Amino acid sequence: MSLPEHAGDDRSFAAAQSFLLGAKTFWTTVMFPALRAEHEAVAATPGAIDNPDAIAQRLQHSTLYHSYAWLERHLQRMKYSGRYGLAHWVARDRDRLEAALQAQQVRLDHDLEMPRYYRSVDIHQHPGGLVGDSLAGFVYERGARSTTPLAGQHLQDLHERLANLIAGLGTPRHILDFGCGFGKSTRPLCARFPQAHVTAIDLSAPCLKLAASMHRAAGLGNADYAQADARHTGQADAGFDLVTSTMLLHELPPPAVEATFAEAARVFAPGGWMVHLDFLPQVQPRGDAFAQFVHYGHARRNNEPFMEPLARIDLEAALAATGFVDVCIEPFEEAEGTLAADYPLWRFPWAVVRARRAQ
Amino acid sequence: MALATEVYVLRDRVRAIEAAFTANGALQPEQLAAEPGPEEMAEARADRAAFVRHLMQPLLGQQASKGTLK
Repeated sequence: MSLPEHAGDDRSFAAAQSFLLGAKTFWTTVMFPALRAEHEAVAATPGAIDNPDAIAQRLQHSTLYHSYAWLERHLQRMKYSGRYGLAHWVARDRDRLEAALQAQQVRLDHDLEMPRYYRSVDIHQHPGGLVGDSLAGFVYERGARSTTPLAGQHLQDLHERLANLIAGLGTPRHILDFGCGFGKSTRPLCARFPQAHVTAIDLSAPCLKLAASMHRAAGLGNADYAQADARHTGQADAGFDLVTSTMLLHELPPPAVEATFAEAARVFAPGGWMVHLDFLPQVQPRGDAFAQFVHYGHARRNNEPFMEPLARIDLEAALAATGFVDVCIEPFEEAEGTLAADYPLWRFPWAVVRARRAQ
Repeated sequence: MALATEVYVLRDRVRAIEAAFTANGALQPEQLAAEPGPEEMAEARADRAAFVRHLMQPLLGQQASKGTLK
């Protein structure tokens, strides 16, 4: 008799995932502040060099840092993989979930070649990444609910906050949402701008199908989902007055970031806005060398090879070279109080990059 | 591995108890198999936090003792 590789029932799965989330919460609220305190105690000594490489050298023998780094890697791995992991849990219900996706209205491009940078890494430690399995969208959606432990079920608030920020720039009518994933960035745009039409694109067919399903379940109608590469979308020239992305740029190698900016410039009507929400440690109120060290370490441990390169791009120069003006790069308050100069807990270094197409 | 062994022993005993309760009609197995609702999850959150703190506190590498009693 062979035993199932997965744990068997929903309660066991939920208990294991709950334990992992509790451990990640401890890591976020207790271990991270303790690590910062350990760093600051040493950094305050005369002659201590304060840059990410020097901090890495100093902490390489720290017991606390070893535990912190190991847990960052393996709590995420256990969330996705193994007998209680999301991948196994979702796959148990494969027939029903695949049938649910079949009915969704999505424009797929069956000739679209997945870029090598997209296929070569299990991004976020998600087995097979976002295109490796027909159910990858379900795995990603469930995983995203606990990516930021303190946000919990309220991660949606972050996207609503971004929609509110965009509303302060004007009232868009034609929106292009790059890298929409399972639509968690798209739905708040549709709700905030009901008179607009949103074209949401992504490389991942499994995510797009789930996005269309969740969109319909939310009772929204003003969007369509299409499979396309943000570097060459196939959209007409000057057809949009707002281009957005959320957590896309850090998934792209620098040449792809520049190509995405160029494509945004092409599809823009003059005067339109481009708004990207992503991670930039150096623009944070507490964007010191320690914050950069922590962020670059997170990138390595979570299979995010382009996170550090994005932080090192001169985005203002890249945008100016592509014909953008009114460039503004600033921290983004993903939840109340997180931009306080003394905010003590681990957080992603959320930042908004916005720019306008020259008239 | 000692901890994993203890966990496996506990799992074995729980399985045996569930089987006995099911056999005498005191338990419907599907009651345990269903994912708990948000209310039950919320009730368990404080217990989870206490369990995690107890488990992970030593990883901070901080001395918990107050030293010699005076």
